[in-house]
Amino acid sequence: MKSSLDVYFKDVGKRRLLTREEEVSLSKMIEAGDPKARAHMIESNLRLAISIAKKYYYSGCNMEDLIQESNIGLMKAVEKFDWRRGFKFSTYASWWIRQSVSRYISSHGNTIKIPAHTSSLGWKIKRLTAEYEEEFNQAPTIAEITEILGVTESMVKASIQASRFRHLVSFDATIGGEEGGRKILETIPDKNSLTPDDLLDRERISKIISASLSRLSKREEQVMRLRFGLSDVEDKSIFEISEEEVNKLEAKK
Amino acid sequence: MSMPKGHKSSHGYATVSSLDGGLGYREIAERMTSQGNKMNHSTARNVFLSSMRKVAKDACVMMGVDPTEENLKRVSSDPRFQSGVIDILRESHV
Repeated sequence: MKSSLDVYFKDVGKRRLLTREEEVSLSKMIEAGDPKARAHMIESNLRLAISIAKKYYYSGCNMEDLIQESNIGLMKAVEKFDWRRGFKFSTYASWWIRQSVSRYISSHGNTIKIPAHTSSLGWKIKRLTAEYEEEFNQAPTIAEITEILGVTESMVKASIQASRFRHLVSFDATIGGEEGGRKILETIPDKNSLTPDDLLDRERISKIISASLSRLSKREEQVMRLRFGLSDVEDKSIFEISEEEVNKLEAKK
Repeated sequence: MSMPKGHKSSHGYATVSSLDGGLGYREIAERMTSQGNKMNHSTARNVFLSSMRKVAKDACVMMGVDPTEENLKRVSSDPRFQSGVIDILRESHV
């Protein structure tokens, strides 16, 4: 059975790509306020939107949502495209599409929402660090990053901290996508729980110690209980002393 | 040169303050004496320690540990062992 995405891809694939001249003439018509030209321009570039959205497949977001965002970026590009500059539409549109998709990912791809500017600064820092390391064989300090990127130290620190939350996964997320039967939480072992072997061992130890305790004399057991604060000595009969001795002790009181 | 700092137990010490409602040897002696079983604090301590050693001996044998005096002293004074004994006594008491 074909998924809705397959049907969509097939439908989009049927559309012919525009030539440079067609792009210019359509842009002129769009400027004049022709809605049909706008729709034609968008529909002819849906393939570009899909191909960019596919590059973000591993971001953890739903593919359909990514394509949706990609299309929104494409629509913005159609509105803002200036044919007089002489660029091809795809060159211009790809920036808008990429921006739209990456903004969506930064706000929806994480469990914790990170502001777009913080996320974008994080990417800049990552890129800068990689280039710096390649050139100087060491990572840049925060002061150096601050100076090169022209931002404040607190912004750099906040962005580095926020980038640590990028790969958080929910305990309730299912394994193997939406159809997966088990949650991540179910696969984490409980280190505090006892295995059946441990339980049996514990029961055995408990029995042996109980038997050992039962062999203690009443006096010993009583001292132990008092020491551990488990019970009080109330019953005189448990001690093997004569009635005479009890009377003597009571007379002393 | 600093003076030797003495022995440090690896798992801490089992003290009266660590046992909720537990009594000191002097209090045990007083309580036992008042209940008709005369003893002083040293006797109370000796009775307690020898009882713990008896229990520890059985535990050592079961766990395959040689029940030497040294081992018995180590196991019986271990707060983890004492806490296990407390649990068992508590269960048998209830």
